Amino acid sequence: MKPDVGTVLEVVGGKLLLEVAPAVGPGYQRQSVALTGILLTMVKEEWERSASRRVEENAALRALFGRAASVVTDPELRRRLGEAAASADASFQISLLEQANAALRTLLIELHAHVESLESPAARALDDEIWSELVASTERRRFGLAPF
Amino acid sequence: MQELEPRIAAYAAHRMPDATDVRVAAVERIHGGASRETFRFRLHWREGARELERRLILRRDPPGSLIETDRAAEFAAYRAFRDSSVPVPEALWLESDSRWLDHPFFVMEEIVGCDASPQAIVAPPYAQHHDKLARQKWTILGQIAAADPEKLGLVGALPEVTPGNAWWHELDHWTRVIDEDELEPQPIIRAAIRRLRRAPPPPPARLHVVHGDYRTGNFLYDGEGDIRGILDWEMAHLGDPLEDLAWSINRIWCWARDGRVGGLTSKAEAIRIWESASGLRADPGALHWWELFSSVKGLAIWISGGREYQSGSNKDPVLAFSSIWLSNAQNRAALETLGKLS
Repeated sequence: MKPDVGTVLEVVGGKLLLEVAPAVGPGYQRQSVALTGILLTMVKEEWERSASRRVEENAALRALFGRAASVVTDPELRRRLGEAAASADASFQISLLEQANAALRTLLIELHAHVESLESPAARALDDEIWSELVASTERRRFGLAPF
Repeated sequence: MQELEPRIAAYAAHRMPDATDVRVAAVERIHGGASRETFRFRLHWREGARELERRLILRRDPPGSLIETDRAAEFAAYRAFRDSSVPVPEALWLESDSRWLDHPFFVMEEIVGCDASPQAIVAPPYAQHHDKLARQKWTILGQIAAADPEKLGLVGALPEVTPGNAWWHELDHWTRVIDEDELEPQPIIRAAIRRLRRAPPPPPARLHVVHGDYRTGNFLYDGEGDIRGILDWEMAHLGDPLEDLAWSINRIWCWARDGRVGGLTSKAEAIRIWESASGLRADPGALHWWELFSSVKGLAIWISGGREYQSGSNKDPVLAFSSIWLSNAQNRAALETLGKLS
């Protein structure tokens, strides 16, 4: 698509914020238009990275699950971790990547709760690794306009 | 907005039997918290030979919102703190009958000549008053904490809890909101919830009034750096006063993006002012628990707003904006509280 999606979102967002909003009467409507303009610039930021961050994260989670299998004591959870580790993204369509990401992050929650119940040094190391991945996951989703 | 004018006037006439020629003008929707539709208007009426006018605020329940709250509790809180050292607008009428304006609502005084914007407060002309604003902001919060809910008539008006289960009540409520409204898995906040449950905070010595959303953005300030009104009591409840203190210093409210809490002062100074005004001590361990809880609550609110927007029940852009803008920041705030951010 040309002009690029990002360019269109940036231009439309800027027009709403800098041209349309000031022309609307003060109050709720003006703020809503301005907010929509800012929102579009954030959508642009997310659009640009939407495939890459999901592909990167899905791969990171599968690798983590592969390493976790030896630490996990619950056989059923270990089996599902193994299956997830062996899975792959068949398409780069955002909705499918998102679906896979949601399934992997749901399994991560279960894994994390399980690991917290274990005492071994290997479990503590895995816990650290999970937290590192969670930190990375927030950085992948961070916006330039973030309050901090 | 014009269709609202005669309907509000009809309601006002119903509430003011001695008034004649009741009219409403200049109805204008304003941003006033994401939980209710907020309108300002001018009420005109006659009492005998006198012509009177008053500027008022209408807060009406929307079909969906960031926060599903009890307007009666909000109204009760406004009334309770009227004529106290905590500045609040006068709350006039509470109406649960939807026949008047389609949804329940309440009406209160408009405090004029003020700003509430958290973005405006970090810039001139307000920036020169930051020390004063910070002193007032956390002094008032300390006064809310020092108040006796029994004497204020709020016991019975707000949900019943005990000092021992207040933390559980709040954590359980907001966890339920996340359970019901999340649009995607939330591994960070789920870990935070497990940690909070494993190590509850020490109970407060007694129950206190908790404003529930005490932050820059929810009070009115003027050009002299004076706080003129504490707003948005929709999440007011009884509980641990550290809940309010922790929420007020939540990392996502660092509007100046420089680490100053509420865009005004250092975290240590905010706590010092609050302790001085409340006569209470902010136990660091307990405060840390409530800081982490604040991220759970915050994320629940952003998730809930995102759900409303996505479902189409409320298409106010502030819901989408808040959910998109603040969800990630709230997760980062939780990581910071947990010492996971380098």
